[in-house]
Amino acid sequence: MKMKIAGSVALIIGLAIAASPLFAHHGDAAYSSTPLILKGCIVTEFDWMNPHSLIKFDYKNEKGEVQHWTMEIGSPPSMQLLGWSRNTLHYGDVITAYVYQSKTGALVGRTNKVILADGTVLADRDDSTPSRYSDEKK
Amino acid sequence: MRQAFITAALVTLAALVVSSVAVAQTPQSQSQPKQAVSPWKYYPKDVAVGDGGPAPKRDLSGTWAGPGSTPSIPAGTPAERPTLTPLAEQIMGQRKSVGRFGPAGTNDPTATYCDPLGFPRDYVYQNRAMSVATMPNRVVFLFQFGDFWREVWTDGRALPTDFGDNRDSLDPTFMGYSVGRWEDDYNFVIDTTGLDERTWVMNDGTPHSVNAHVQERWTRIDHNTMKVSMTIDDPKMYTKPFSLGTYFFRWVPNQKIGEWLCVPSETLKYLTEQGKPAGAFPDEPTERRGGGRRRGQQ
Repeated sequence: MKMKIAGSVALIIGLAIAASPLFAHHGDAAYSSTPLILKGCIVTEFDWMNPHSLIKFDYKNEKGEVQHWTMEIGSPPSMQLLGWSRNTLHYGDVITAYVYQSKTGALVGRTNKVILADGTVLADRDDSTPSRYSDEKK
Repeated sequence: MRQAFITAALVTLAALVVSSVAVAQTPQSQSQPKQAVSPWKYYPKDVAVGDGGPAPKRDLSGTWAGPGSTPSIPAGTPAERPTLTPLAEQIMGQRKSVGRFGPAGTNDPTATYCDPLGFPRDYVYQNRAMSVATMPNRVVFLFQFGDFWREVWTDGRALPTDFGDNRDSLDPTFMGYSVGRWEDDYNFVIDTTGLDERTWVMNDGTPHSVNAHVQERWTRIDHNTMKVSMTIDDPKMYTKPFSLGTYFFRWVPNQKIGEWLCVPSETLKYLTEQGKPAGAFPDEPTERRGGGRRRGQQ
């Protein structure tokens, strides 16, 4: 039994090591471990740049207040591998943002998924990374 | 219990091997772009399939996809962790890596100011693509990241040794001084020294002295594949030489790579509007929320 457990643990660790991504420019310790799901966000700026591209958007919270958010994705070379380009987002696009907010409470965060109004899913993660979302549609 | 550990180790190894083979054999149909191929466009997923025939003799020329550019590049082996001298430990104590401290708290000169990575960090970190050109008396490496280049002299000159305070001493440089020789038709050995001490050897801040000696062994395996294994020796900083890793490169079909610069104004914008407001949390686990490069690479 112990052997089976040890083997299973090793298999999981092995697959995780072999398939998971690792830090590119920096780790994400600054961000919360669970994402906010912000719907109806309006893109105000898309900066396709190094070391990380930035997506800025306005979000109206439950109190009706408009919040100005900034969230980062990967570098252009990393994002190109996932099908992104400098033309992926435009001013005025309506998106759903999955954003891991900064632990400081500032309106900045890390995203790994954006959904466009037409349902298109834009991911910032390797395909081999297991989905964090049970409702994700491929 | 012992048998359990052996089984565990074997299963882990098997998982790694299966994964690496699967990655190495990714069919080109999955990696090729769907649109028509433009000779002017860089397709980071597009790498040559198969060996392309035998390796040309004494030639590394061409444009190559490197570590981290796409999953179809074999992972290679990462750098070892050195045993540091007390001086190196003291320097390390002052360095704050971007991996641990984040953009808000790091003092990594590249992450903060776009300073050149320098050699050999540009090989162990961001070398996703590069070109190699052969000239009559040297081999020139042209890096995608930062548009940097380094020259390796093949005319038989000796490696310099004086980077001191004499009138004729050479200046340390970010890329160092390099000489190369073909050991046989397929193995090119490069020795480098005279490296600027401001540069970090690895992302964690591992230091080096100006007299550090880096040796690279480039092997042209076949037309479409080459690899480099690197070691560094620096008695001032390390108690013994150590491996900087082995990295594979694959031929780029249209021989075009994209521009990828560290632009100071963009870095300043990123730090001001995102990195610094996000804060530094050096004592918390460096988790990963978004995408990234494969494990095993710096």
